[in-house]
Amino acid sequence: MSAMLEIKNYTKSYGSGKKAADNVTLTVEAGDIFGFIGHNGAGKSTTIRAVVGVLDFTEGEILIDGHSVKTEPIECKKVTAYIPDNPDLYENLTGIQYLNFVADVFGIGAQEREEVIKKYADEFEITDSLGDLISSYSHGMKQKVAIISALIHSPKLLVLDEPFVGLDPKAAFKLKEIMHEMCDKGTAIFFSTHVLDVAEKLCNKVAIIKQGRIIDVGTMEELTEGHSLEEVFLEADNEEK
Amino acid sequence: MKKNNILLKTLLMSTSSFNIYRHTTDKKKKGKIVGGFIGLLILYAMLMFYFIATCIGYGKFGLIDSAPELCALSISAMAFIFTFFKTNGYLFNFKEYDMLMALPFEAKTVASCKFLYMYVKSLGWYMSISLSMMIGYGIYAKPGIITYILWIVLSFFLPIIPMLIAAFLGFLIARVSAGFKKTNIIQTILMVLLVLFSFSIRFILEDIFRNNKTEDVLNQMSGITGNASGYYLPAKWFADAITKSSISSTMLLIGVSVLLFIGIFALVGRSYRNINSSLKNHAASKSYKMTALKTRSVQNSIAFKELRRFLGSTSYLVNGGMGQILCAIAGILVLIVGFDNALVMITQNAPFEHSVVRPAIPFIVYFFIGMVATTACSPSLEGKNYWIIKSLPLDMKTVYQGKMLFNMYITVPFMVFGILCLCISSKTPFIESVLYIILGIALCAFSTAWGCVCGVKHLKLDWENEIEVIKQSSAVVIYMFPNMILTMLLAALSVFLGRLMDNRLLTIIFIMFEGVLASLCYLRVMALAKKNK
Repeated sequence: MSAMLEIKNYTKSYGSGKKAADNVTLTVEAGDIFGFIGHNGAGKSTTIRAVVGVLDFTEGEILIDGHSVKTEPIECKKVTAYIPDNPDLYENLTGIQYLNFVADVFGIGAQEREEVIKKYADEFEITDSLGDLISSYSHGMKQKVAIISALIHSPKLLVLDEPFVGLDPKAAFKLKEIMHEMCDKGTAIFFSTHVLDVAEKLCNKVAIIKQGRIIDVGTMEELTEGHSLEEVFLEADNEEK
Repeated sequence: MKKNNILLKTLLMSTSSFNIYRHTTDKKKKGKIVGGFIGLLILYAMLMFYFIATCIGYGKFGLIDSAPELCALSISAMAFIFTFFKTNGYLFNFKEYDMLMALPFEAKTVASCKFLYMYVKSLGWYMSISLSMMIGYGIYAKPGIITYILWIVLSFFLPIIPMLIAAFLGFLIARVSAGFKKTNIIQTILMVLLVLFSFSIRFILEDIFRNNKTEDVLNQMSGITGNASGYYLPAKWFADAITKSSISSTMLLIGVSVLLFIGIFALVGRSYRNINSSLKNHAASKSYKMTALKTRSVQNSIAFKELRRFLGSTSYLVNGGMGQILCAIAGILVLIVGFDNALVMITQNAPFEHSVVRPAIPFIVYFFIGMVATTACSPSLEGKNYWIIKSLPLDMKTVYQGKMLFNMYITVPFMVFGILCLCISSKTPFIESVLYIILGIALCAFSTAWGCVCGVKHLKLDWENEIEVIKQSSAVVIYMFPNMILTMLLAALSVFLGRLMDNRLLTIIFIMFEGVLASLCYLRVMALAKKNK
């Protein structure tokens, strides 16, 4: 399988010299569902934001589908979709206006966008609300609109930051289904989560990050070796102390 | 280009009241939008009336040829100031940065669209100035049709160059600040320094242009605008294009605007991600050790929370605290140069007895401090965090008291300091000085409570960018205009009555008047708090 996301020696330092991410190296291949786990403030979101081209970084290289995030950001973003943990959507647009905006940016044809929006809006049961202002949506509904907007251009790499926060159980189940479907079609999925049960059931690969450094990475089988992911995580965490 | 259009259209739509009106089912919200629109039309009409009247004044004294220069300079000055204060918040450090930058937009596309968004949103103000002056010019100069066409077309380009200069300065400040650990603090300091520098430049220029023998104020104004446009070439190009139908000046204004736009955003685009990364991300030191914690009263605790918000936002600090900084500097300067010399400088040697100005001292200081009140925007600034206050076991009365207390904390010390400096410098008798200080505090109380009335009455929590509520919300505009007019009237009245009656008695009357106004506003806030419970 080809590498869809390669993070090589990625380091993000702040003015104080403190490192939010320190020499992070990992590879996500096409068809992978890669879980990125760690404590609050471990460096998950910092890494994810650098991957999607939002955050500048100090050292290292991040490649998406062979393109460098630093030197070819547009090529990278064309094949990537990002769902932040707390999506800041335009509150005074309606759901459909926002989705149309994203579809316009990716140059998606009218028929194709209609099909995709209808499919996922029906699945997430928000079709009726698409004409309402986003400011009237609940957190979960905003999250659903952000998810649909991320799927609109059939990305090769889907990056999600805590995607299950705020979703109702049905929507969370639907999202997991969609992730599996996309993975079967060859999309690489890279997501952060605190919910170890979800990661264990969903992912084929996992990386554990602590204080900006990767302390364990590999396939789920390699990492767990018959134990639960929770046990592995706690053990790795204790060893590092 | 296509992506620019998509993004610009979306940015405009995302803050368009018309879009909200179309899609909301909330009748109260619809009513507010209509009310806001009518208020805006009234403000446009007032502005147009003022500029038409200015042109008529110029026309009557045979100075109508200066109108195009005055128009260009007025718009340029407004565009520069408004843009400079909005750069941080609109161009950098905006809320939806992550969402936009994760989409396949080039950094320069995002930056330039944000700039164009600022341009389109403020174009109404500039056009109302320009078109009203065109009407005034047309009445007296009776130009041909080509002049009107040129005036209208070039009006669209007039604000671009000053806006670009302001945006570029904002960019330079952000770029420099990005290299420091405390990015926001450095950015705030640099912005304040630049504003102070701009003020000093204004005085230096006025000094250069000033002709002491000029008796006619309009003639002097006309001379100043003429000289200024000699230094600020775009104003000269505009004036030449209008008065001489100069094609080269027309092309220069359009060409330089376009080229500057392209050049600046090519440059800004290069560092855009780096600047925003620095502004939006802060390292956690993780070095806190649990120590004894201070306890405060609820109101003080809210005031302290407001202080943290104030100090944590460059836009809030620069807009809300600039008056206080200028007041302190002006106070020290007056102490150094002396009250009489300061008046000579300000009034350009106008022949009058300087002591007549003394009763207006509290109002002069209030012009620095009272034109912005944090209470006008702080209720709206809660934004998405409004739930925190609403979910706490507090009544809104206490919340607003805390917010008012904060405004008093940041205005009263500067007010007292400013008045003291002016009183010492003007050798005001002790009792009079004490009364001026009391009047100053009463003015602060009025400003605080009136600001809070406006802030609560025109609460806007669903903002996209904090600048919307700090600088251009209905609450801020409604606070500022009556406040400014009332202060001007009272200042004039104090000078006029000061010659007819005892200053101490006059000041006591003003203290009582301001006290009553402040109390009425406070009671209104309490009534609104009860309603919003």
